Amino acid sequence: MLLEWRQKNVIYGILLYVVSTVFIVYISTGDIRPPVWNILFWIIVLFASINAMVKSFIQENNQRQLYYYQLAHPVAIILSKILYNIGLLFLLSILSCLAMTLVYESPIKRMGLFGLTIFLGSVGFSITFTFVSAIASKADNSSTLMAILSFPIVIPILGTLMMLSANALGLIQDTAFLKDIYTLIAIDGILLGLAIILFPFLWRD
Amino acid sequence: MKISKIIITIFSLQCLFLNNIAAQSSNPDFMQSIGKIYVVVAVIATVFIGIMIYLFSLQKKIKQLEDQIKD
Amino acid sequence: MKENWWKIIGIGLMLFSLIFGMLTPLKPGLPSVFPFNGKAGNQLTLSIQGYNTHFDEVKDQRVWLKLGDYTLGASKLEATSSNLLKATFNTPDILPSKDSVVVFTLISDNEIDGASVMPSAIFVKQANIDSLGAAQIWPQNSVDNLHQRAGITFPYRNVLGETIRNLYYHVSLWFAMFLILAVSVFYSIRYLHKENMVDDHRADAMVSVGVVFGLLGCATGSIWAKHTWGTWWTTDVKLNMTAIFMLIYLAYFVLRGSFQDEIKRARLASVYNIFAFASIIPLLFVIPRLVDSLHPGNGGNPGFGGEDLDNTMRMAFYPAIIGMTLIGLWMADLRFRLSVLADKLLDRM
Repeated sequence: MLLEWRQKNVIYGILLYVVSTVFIVYISTGDIRPPVWNILFWIIVLFASINAMVKSFIQENNQRQLYYYQLAHPVAIILSKILYNIGLLFLLSILSCLAMTLVYESPIKRMGLFGLTIFLGSVGFSITFTFVSAIASKADNSSTLMAILSFPIVIPILGTLMMLSANALGLIQDTAFLKDIYTLIAIDGILLGLAIILFPFLWRD
Repeated sequence: MKISKIIITIFSLQCLFLNNIAAQSSNPDFMQSIGKIYVVVAVIATVFIGIMIYLFSLQKKIKQLEDQIKD
Repeated sequence: MKENWWKIIGIGLMLFSLIFGMLTPLKPGLPSVFPFNGKAGNQLTLSIQGYNTHFDEVKDQRVWLKLGDYTLGASKLEATSSNLLKATFNTPDILPSKDSVVVFTLISDNEIDGASVMPSAIFVKQANIDSLGAAQIWPQNSVDNLHQRAGITFPYRNVLGETIRNLYYHVSLWFAMFLILAVSVFYSIRYLHKENMVDDHRADAMVSVGVVFGLLGCATGSIWAKHTWGTWWTTDVKLNMTAIFMLIYLAYFVLRGSFQDEIKRARLASVYNIFAFASIIPLLFVIPRLVDSLHPGNGGNPGFGGEDLDNTMRMAFYPAIIGMTLIGLWMADLRFRLSVLADKLLDRM
């Protein structure tokens, strides 16, 4: 079901979007310190990912959806979309991290933890955004609706991510970061389970 | 219609009561007096008013429904 | 009358918590002491402000300064009014501590008010430090035979004062809101399971009441904050959490509003309701860990955890939660019946 690899130009578009955003931020801020780096990084990733995710359901036409509907089980569809989006978002976060390292100095102290944070973050973002975009695609003004619906839901994930990455940047010394990782995994698991259970109801018409 | 009139009366009485408080509270220490008991009073009044406002919105909806039935 | 029993219970519980919660007096307390610092070796004269106390009526008034096991009784006491007491202490030159500035706790006891404690009441400076020598001079464990105030009371806390009663009228709102939203999620699940339009109307009505309770919780919290912290709104964690709650459920209404087709609207709204509620449950556990809260009970603030929430407060708090929830369900019930009627009317036309 990974048909979307064919849409290479979409991926290039998103990557270019990230790079240009980082560049605009660089021009307008100049030198920044690690706490600001942390916040900027996650905001860039958040907006880039919401831009990328809008495409997963909303920008597909009805005929194609009908075609999928005949072809595959809804659980397979949502799972493949989520998997694809996890890959895309992970790539996107790494790229924005690289771009930000290129223009600023890298403040990352613990590379492994930061990588894990990025990965868990892209999992959480991709589950939430994919699912919400499935909801929003049924309405008319879907891209606005998507932002309204998904931002409040994503706040708990974002908060935990900020904590973890602040840890990885050495901004705070928190020995309980393992607990944060577990909560993040738990949130991701709950959301994934719900998405799988609830998606067949969305897919019916 | 009677019930709504009663509600309006209660509501305006409530407002009068609050106005009374507002008039007294020109003294800045009023809310702080007697261990801030008037803060508790204000909180209860707010909850009461909030529920009243909800009832009013319900009443408005019922009225629309009644008008629809008439047509 | 048969189907109204739970509404009557709700009103009864709410009335009970209103009457019991407002009429029960607070335990006597010590809001302030002046001066709040002094020098060791001098004669210290403190004017102690009391709340709900009877300093001028009692015969057996005693006051101590306390540091660990060491307690120093007042040498002279003079009550100027029922809420004002002058206590004189003859402090020795040296204090039983290795620090140059020592913080003492103030304890007052008499036969009417019982014992009241004011933690970190007074700072005393000492010129020479000789903790071992002081241990010889200072009396130990002289606080004994403390009295108990007769009758039912709520605990007294500095800063909170009478607003400790807000536990029943502000905090219970939040609990009720959460319970009502949980019930609405239950109906959303039932809608997806049975495809019965009635369940969706129920869920919708409950969310609307939940939002009203949430807004009321914000408003009442704001009033309290204005007179306790001095501002209407702070960047406190719990306030941010409520803001997220409100955003999610306002988004729910926007979602409902953007569909014409009834079945589609009901299905999507139910799905979103379940998904959103599941995603805010972690919020309750995650966010409070991120930053300290200013709320009572967090970050060393006087609060309602553990010993602070005593049994008399529970007697008013739990009925308030249940009563508030039942009244909310009643409001939702009215709203639900209205939308079912509107639906039927629409079908007939």
